[in-house]
Amino acid sequence: MQLREFFNREAISLNLKGETQDDILKELIGLLNLDEKSEGILFKMLKRRENLGSTGIGRGIAIPHCRSLVVNRLRVAFGRKPEGVDFKAIDGQPVYNFFLIVAPPLEVSNQYLPVLGKVAQFAKEPGIAERLRELKTPDEFLQLLEEKGI
Amino acid sequence: MHPELEILLQLQDLKAQRRELEEDHAERQVEVQEFNIDVARAIEELDRKIQEMEEQLSPAIRSRYRRISEGRGRAVVPVINGICYGCFESIPTAVAGDIRQNATLRHCEHCGRFLYILPG
Ligand SMILES: [Zn+2]
Repeated sequence: MQLREFFNREAISLNLKGETQDDILKELIGLLNLDEKSEGILFKMLKRRENLGSTGIGRGIAIPHCRSLVVNRLRVAFGRKPEGVDFKAIDGQPVYNFFLIVAPPLEVSNQYLPVLGKVAQFAKEPGIAERLRELKTPDEFLQLLEEKGI
Repeated sequence: MHPELEILLQLQDLKAQRRELEEDHAERQVEVQEFNIDVARAIEELDRKIQEMEEQLSPAIRSRYRRISEGRGRAVVPVINGICYGCFESIPTAVAGDIRQNATLRHCEHCGRFLYILPG
């Protein structure tokens, strides 16, 4: 199982517009194409998770994640905010790259934790911040995932 | 969506999060190691939120919700492809797969759990 398998072009945005944590979360959720009610519930859950402790793990990367009944399978999205945003990250630095991971509470395939772990591992790859900054198209993001083979 | 179903969904999500932090070793480890979460404080915070949301339910729904939670664990389950994910029995086809049905608060006639219809 590799990270590349879980991402698709439609759920990648290299130009997030939001200026606040809330706006960024909403934009990321928007990439999943859920109905409006589900989006609202998911936003509340992700927000609550952030309040327990920021998912900004440093190096300009955050991994908002939660389990929720509003999805029927593991869903992931990637968003980049070129100017960065204050996400209360562990290192106090702005966050530029966001990986959203959402899974149902009962997940037969059990992919949530491995994917969460792999994204955290990907975030620690040397030079990854620069590579992400240079991306020009969603396809380049997918290629980078493939190249890293995580 | 039925307003109380919305509360029930959130309650179930909060409880799933709590259960994972408290009981699932692997999940707790990821939260602690990668995200530096303070587990004790997080559980306290989740409990507070769970209680707050439970108080928003009407007395009749709340007592039903508590009765199922205590007896069978999860009180709200998704319906995916016509199957109740609480007992894995089929749901009548008129209800299954149509998310507009979430406007009504429904329960499974086999296991009694509250149902949340997910698009098929
Ligand atoms: Zn059932």
